[in-house]
Amino acid sequence: MNVKFLNPFVEAAAEVLKTETGQEVNRGDLRLENGNYQTDDLTVILSLVGAVEGTVFYSMSEQTGCQLASIILGEQFEKLEYLAQSGIAEVGNVITGRASMKLADAGFETTISPPALLLGKGAAISTLDFPRLVVPLLTAAGPILIHLALRQGNARGLKTADMSVPKAFTGI
Amino acid sequence: MDVKILNPFLEAAIEVIQKEIGVKAERGDLSLQKSALTTDDVTVLIHLVGEVYGVVMYGMPKNTGLNFVSIMLGQEVKELDSLTQSGIAELGNVISGAATVKFSLAGYSSNISPPMVISGRGVQVSTLDFPRIVVPLHTEKGDFHVHLALKETAPGSQPRPEEFVKLAVENFPSATAG
Repeated sequence: MNVKFLNPFVEAAAEVLKTETGQEVNRGDLRLENGNYQTDDLTVILSLVGAVEGTVFYSMSEQTGCQLASIILGEQFEKLEYLAQSGIAEVGNVITGRASMKLADAGFETTISPPALLLGKGAAISTLDFPRLVVPLLTAAGPILIHLALRQGNARGLKTADMSVPKAFTGI
Repeated sequence: MDVKILNPFLEAAIEVIQKEIGVKAERGDLSLQKSALTTDDVTVLIHLVGEVYGVVMYGMPKNTGLNFVSIMLGQEVKELDSLTQSGIAELGNVISGAATVKFSLAGYSSNISPPMVISGRGVQVSTLDFPRIVVPLHTEKGDFHVHLALKETAPGSQPRPEEFVKLAVENFPSATAG
């Protein structure tokens, strides 16, 4: 993965989490993972389509999720109930949206998908031939990992559906 | 969710299964679900962005995945390893790609993300405020479920609602500019 796609996400995450939690966010050591991602308790999944394409995960434990939701929503959560889930998904959404603006400023126009939320430990997510760059962030709520499986796309914004249509279907 | 979003996916799924796997897929009863999806053995997840946006998932038990990929590759696969996952992801990719072609013929422009594959039963996938339509497809090589959690914007309108800034909007004046 191209490292120039990394910084917009790290910056956006640090800015958003700092604003939401009111405390500094520290970055841990990067690592590159090729195998499956074994899910933690809570994973927010978004995709990017456009000049940069692929998937972003934000993963955390239930404890961190409850803590984060409690901080941003201003009410105490003991469990990852719907409102807490929605708040955390929204944080993923805001970080990714902000990162996509930074990518656009760097000349990479992308569109982000709505978030999906995966609850439950122990499943494996494969991003297939996209290796994942993992960035640990230490926040006031606890550790949050950002997983980036991105590459430069060939689609030019949202013009057509030509990107992923295999040859077999051009006759339809 | 409108049938004009639903039908292109169903037509695409049935056509692609017929073409790639060589079996007829029979549609079961539709259901609308508001709760999270509980995963089957293998789930392919693909996002759509554009005038039709949201998430599509294709869930199936292990035996369906193995049977389908064995036929696609022309050799028997016995495990849900990376080759099998890649075959299943490709099937999801082809169905979704064919569906977006049908959307574009109907005047909706949308694009699909690269696929990802979730392996492992019993994990929950929530699409939050996107209700999910579930369509079971039955084939002689196993069952296959299509989950659609999609919304549409009117054709020709701004395809990218800037919904994602709503939480931090007060804090980030620069994020809302333009």
